[in-house]
Amino acid sequence: MNKLMLYIYIIFFTLGVNAQQAQMSQTEINNFKKKIKAVAENTKTILSDFTQYKHLEFLSNDIKTSGKMAFKAPNLVKWEYTNPYKYSVIFKEDQLLINDDGKKSDVKIGGSKMFKKLNQLIVNSVSGNMFDNNEFDISYYKTAGFYRVLFTSKDKNLSKYIKQFILHFSKKELTVIEVKMVEPSNDYTQIIFKNRKENIVLKDEVFTN
Amino acid sequence: MKFLQISILLLSLTSCTLATTKNLVSSPVVNTHFDNPYFSDSNQDYVYKGKIDVYGNYFGGIFIVKKIGRLHHRIVLTTELGNKIFDFELQNDSYKVNYILEELDRKIIINTLKRDFQLLVKEHTIVKKKYKNDPYIIYQSQHKKQLNFYFINKDTGKLEKLVNTSKRKEKTIVNFESINKKLAQRIVIEHKNIKLKIELKYLDNN
Repeated sequence: MNKLMLYIYIIFFTLGVNAQQAQMSQTEINNFKKKIKAVAENTKTILSDFTQYKHLEFLSNDIKTSGKMAFKAPNLVKWEYTNPYKYSVIFKEDQLLINDDGKKSDVKIGGSKMFKKLNQLIVNSVSGNMFDNNEFDISYYKTAGFYRVLFTSKDKNLSKYIKQFILHFSKKELTVIEVKMVEPSNDYTQIIFKNRKENIVLKDEVFTN
Repeated sequence: MKFLQISILLLSLTSCTLATTKNLVSSPVVNTHFDNPYFSDSNQDYVYKGKIDVYGNYFGGIFIVKKIGRLHHRIVLTTELGNKIFDFELQNDSYKVNYILEELDRKIIINTLKRDFQLLVKEHTIVKKKYKNDPYIIYQSQHKKQLNFYFINKDTGKLEKLVNTSKRKEKTIVNFESINKKLAQRIVIEHKNIKLKIELKYLDNN
């Protein structure tokens, strides 16, 4: 395919996606929120593979890392990166338990309100349970394949760090398939979940380093 | 009494000697320029896993360098989860902080980082003095009151060590290891005057 064709293809493809994205009606939103809440309430554990892309506008390629994510209700989350390095972080109450390729450290996050809030949002976004949050303007869209929910920061302090959270929910299972955190500079972190398993037994030991 | 005075004088003179140039043999300068190749390719994304030890506190992150223009570099550190810790721009001798986490927004931290990064990415150097000490050829350059010593392995022609000093004391030592062409796969930055050690490991799956 020559370059011109490729551009044309990209333009049409992008237009296509935009055209397919439609705002949800109030009834649809209420219905959607009710269903998500029910799914979140019934989700006791999640184990999923993930691929993370860090996009910085000045880089030629996004930075790709991948691993496994484990969640146990109400608020235990472990991100375990296995490629290209071994690194895991467990969000546990007021602490981050970090294992950086064998080097372990605990970080108390109680002191930093903003950090705590960011972590809480990450935890909540995993289960999709973010709708009762007053810090965001929320808008709802539907496409052929998924629901797309935009959480735009209203809070002045928070918006210095995060401009927008964008969550994609699968239409069938109503589970989070993608999280995108957009910074004020428009650089972003995109996490795509795959092979998601729910309500399998996850022992507490999974959440120790 | 006179003996004591001479001894004190001798002692103070020896203690003033810069450790870096100890046992080095001075040699005539032939090439007046030296180019540091490690962050000089604007087509390359330099992405490293960073491990930082500062006064007993440890934290990790992703360390990113990109040459975005002539003598112009962008240097960013993010957490593994992607949150930015700082975002610097260096151009010639000037710098710009695009972003820094509030907790780190201190003059002393910014100045230390700025000095380290300038040392790391400075491409063109004017050689003032040259030394020899097997297996190295050492080029010395001067910038205001700071001296930089570039240790080049004679056999491979590769820059393996970079030492930044004041007139009397070593301040920062950078070791370049596992060098593949113009890319150092492992870089260790150690400070002599503050307890700060930065270890960088190249991520090559990108």
